[in-house]
Amino acid sequence: MQDVGYIPLFLALVVSVYSAFTYFYGGEKGNGVLLESARNSLIASCVLISLAAGALYYSLITNDFQNEYVASYTSRDLSLVYRLSAFWAGNDGSLLFWGWLLSILAVIMVLQKRDIGRELVPYSAGVVMCTLAFFLIISLFIANPFQRLSFVPPDGQGLNPLLENEGMFFHPPLLLAGYVGFTIPFAFAMSALLTRRLGDEWLVVIRRWTLIAWLLLAVGNLFGAWWAYVELGWGGYWAWDPVENASFLPWLVGTAFLHSIMMQRRRGILKIWNMVLIIITFNLAILGTFLVRSSVLASVHTFAESPALGVAFLAFIGISLFGSVALLYYRSDELHSEAEMESMVSRESTFLLNNLLLVGAAFSILLGTFFPIISEAVRGVKTSVGPPFFNQVNGPIFLAIILLSGICTLIGWKRASVKNLVRNFLWPTVAAVILAIILVVLGINNVAAIVGFVVCAFVLFTILSEGIRGTIARRRMRPQNYLSAFAGLILANRPRYGGYMVHIGVLLFAMGVIGSSVFNIEAEASIKPGESMSIGRYVLTYEKMDNFETQSKTTVSATLSVSNSGERLGRLVAEKYFHRNHQNPVTEVAIKSTLIEDLYVILVGWDQDGTTAFKVLINPLVSWLWIGGVVLVVGALVAFWPERRRRQERTARDGEDV
Amino acid sequence: MGRMFKVMRLNRLLPSVLVLFVLSLVPLQVYALTVSEMTKQFICQCGCTAVLDNCTHAECSIRDEMTNLVRQRVEQGKTEAEIVSFFVGRYGEKVLASPPKKGFNLTVWITPFAAILAGAAIIYIVIKKWVRRGRAVEMTTSDADSTEHDEEYEIRLEKELKDFESRGFR
Repeated sequence: MQDVGYIPLFLALVVSVYSAFTYFYGGEKGNGVLLESARNSLIASCVLISLAAGALYYSLITNDFQNEYVASYTSRDLSLVYRLSAFWAGNDGSLLFWGWLLSILAVIMVLQKRDIGRELVPYSAGVVMCTLAFFLIISLFIANPFQRLSFVPPDGQGLNPLLENEGMFFHPPLLLAGYVGFTIPFAFAMSALLTRRLGDEWLVVIRRWTLIAWLLLAVGNLFGAWWAYVELGWGGYWAWDPVENASFLPWLVGTAFLHSIMMQRRRGILKIWNMVLIIITFNLAILGTFLVRSSVLASVHTFAESPALGVAFLAFIGISLFGSVALLYYRSDELHSEAEMESMVSRESTFLLNNLLLVGAAFSILLGTFFPIISEAVRGVKTSVGPPFFNQVNGPIFLAIILLSGICTLIGWKRASVKNLVRNFLWPTVAAVILAIILVVLGINNVAAIVGFVVCAFVLFTILSEGIRGTIARRRMRPQNYLSAFAGLILANRPRYGGYMVHIGVLLFAMGVIGSSVFNIEAEASIKPGESMSIGRYVLTYEKMDNFETQSKTTVSATLSVSNSGERLGRLVAEKYFHRNHQNPVTEVAIKSTLIEDLYVILVGWDQDGTTAFKVLINPLVSWLWIGGVVLVVGALVAFWPERRRRQERTARDGEDV
Repeated sequence: MGRMFKVMRLNRLLPSVLVLFVLSLVPLQVYALTVSEMTKQFICQCGCTAVLDNCTHAECSIRDEMTNLVRQRVEQGKTEAEIVSFFVGRYGEKVLASPPKKGFNLTVWITPFAAILAGAAIIYIVIKKWVRRGRAVEMTTSDADSTEHDEEYEIRLEKELKDFESRGFR
């Protein structure tokens, strides 16, 4: 099977280099025949990489343990689903997956029907093919998943048991797809610079590409957080680990980009800034791909690979950064904005401030992530930059971002009139103040938490009041009931109201973060069967401990019965797995989840005499993280949904008008 | 009066944002010292980079050793500062979950906010320039302080939605 994987991969490299060259040359000369050939070779490279990917899948499914990659990440007892997921469980496979995804996106990009931006396609396809060629070089010469062993091992080493979780089936491919997805907007930006087509055209083309990459990255991170929460067993969902940070960075700058392109489209400003943002986003995505594979920063996630890989990635980032910035510099004269404004207080200024804060948050996370290296270089002293730093620095920045997003909703474009401001701010402010009073009356004395909740609530109310006002206004204009007026409102401008839904998702998520990080409590106890421990209003009675043997592992499970304020809630089973192929046991936590709080039970260890140690946490509002995540996804899909049907309708209606 | 109000609003907003930033630099008060509160401040030294309190890696043998050291000292009634300095002495500064706010380390704490403030200053100057450019146009257009009644809101909304249909997203 080696050659079936290796040869197509090599041919794909040749073909993609040819395609990139022909796209640039054909684009320059305006030669249709060349462009046609470039397009065909782009498609051919996708087919070839798919063949290679198919070969790897075949090796994974058939337990071809002579393949070093298959032997390292699977074993005979692994279920089919996880054998398939081993494709991206290791460094070599995940890099091939990166290239494969990019080639698929490239095909979609060149085959897409477009009314606008056709002239941009050759150069952007050229940029994409250059990126693809880089990843193929890596897959062929540095991290080849088709290496053969000189012998056939009887069984593989098996997948890291921590990765045997549904979340792991989705988290890596979605995250990678997000990283890969940002290549397309970057490529169009470069194409716009190269072709001097610097109007709104490229923004129209890339909006949905950016949105889907952004969404995939968001969902990837949400799955990662969920996986960490249910599988890692420390009760948290985000550890500010360098690799987590690396996947958060392009998302933050991508968020800024998605917002600031609205400014360019509506007001013709921030043209250079938008270019800068997409250049940063793309390079952060590559950096994120690289950090997982480097030993530059210590992290639990890293694959620990050869230094050649690091050199190759740094060289690629260097070239792409230098090239794109130089290009931007040469075109900067043609990117002047036609800005004019009527007031300091306007939606534009809140957008600009929010853009600044998003990039500022990304900068602080980048700085914190790399500070251990900086510190060691400057002072020769090793430091750690962990959650206390990121929470203290980013907490207020994120709160300010949320607050501004609410203010932004209430302020019109160009300028804000005073009476308007007062009227728009009145009800959300009143509602937020009432909430603050309720929180204080309920006995919450953590100022930071109260401020956080009140800000989130204020913004939530502004979005709701915007929706209500819009619905009422629409109903008055057309004879229909409130429900269809509301639906009509959302459908009439899906990007806008989808965006608001995303904001609501973020707010719910933020409330979950505040609740679970400020009000969590924990208790540890060593008890024998029959004994109880209590935490908050919960009483947990330890019933029994069991042992199960399966082919691949021994499971030790502790059963506890739980009651809340005297009311029985049922049983929880906390477990530890001892896998045969892996030295270290895996903790399977037991979680009882409600909308208010999660009861989170960790089986820590046990003695010969039956004494068992438990760590129990109460994590308030964690459910809202996942609910917020779902709302965010729905909102983003609403904003993403194509407009074709509406355009046809409009053409039909315009026809009637004539 | 209208313009004054606007200026006031901006002036009121900026300090509160500033206060939020400054607040974040003030360390949080610790009321009653528990083992968990202390282990949240340290990084497990086995190389896993996790916060000691969160480290669940079975292979981290040093985790239990560190936790026991914390427990002993908490039980002996040592203060937070004493425990911290003991750990820094034993493992070096890298044992702290975040760099102490002094000396060179201040750069990592201050630079993000300094950068954001610098950015805000640039934005202020840029918008001021745009507003000055816009004022010239404004002379010919309508009064800035006109109230927007329901009907006007409806008209604006309809216009914005129509605008969207013809010009795409915003």
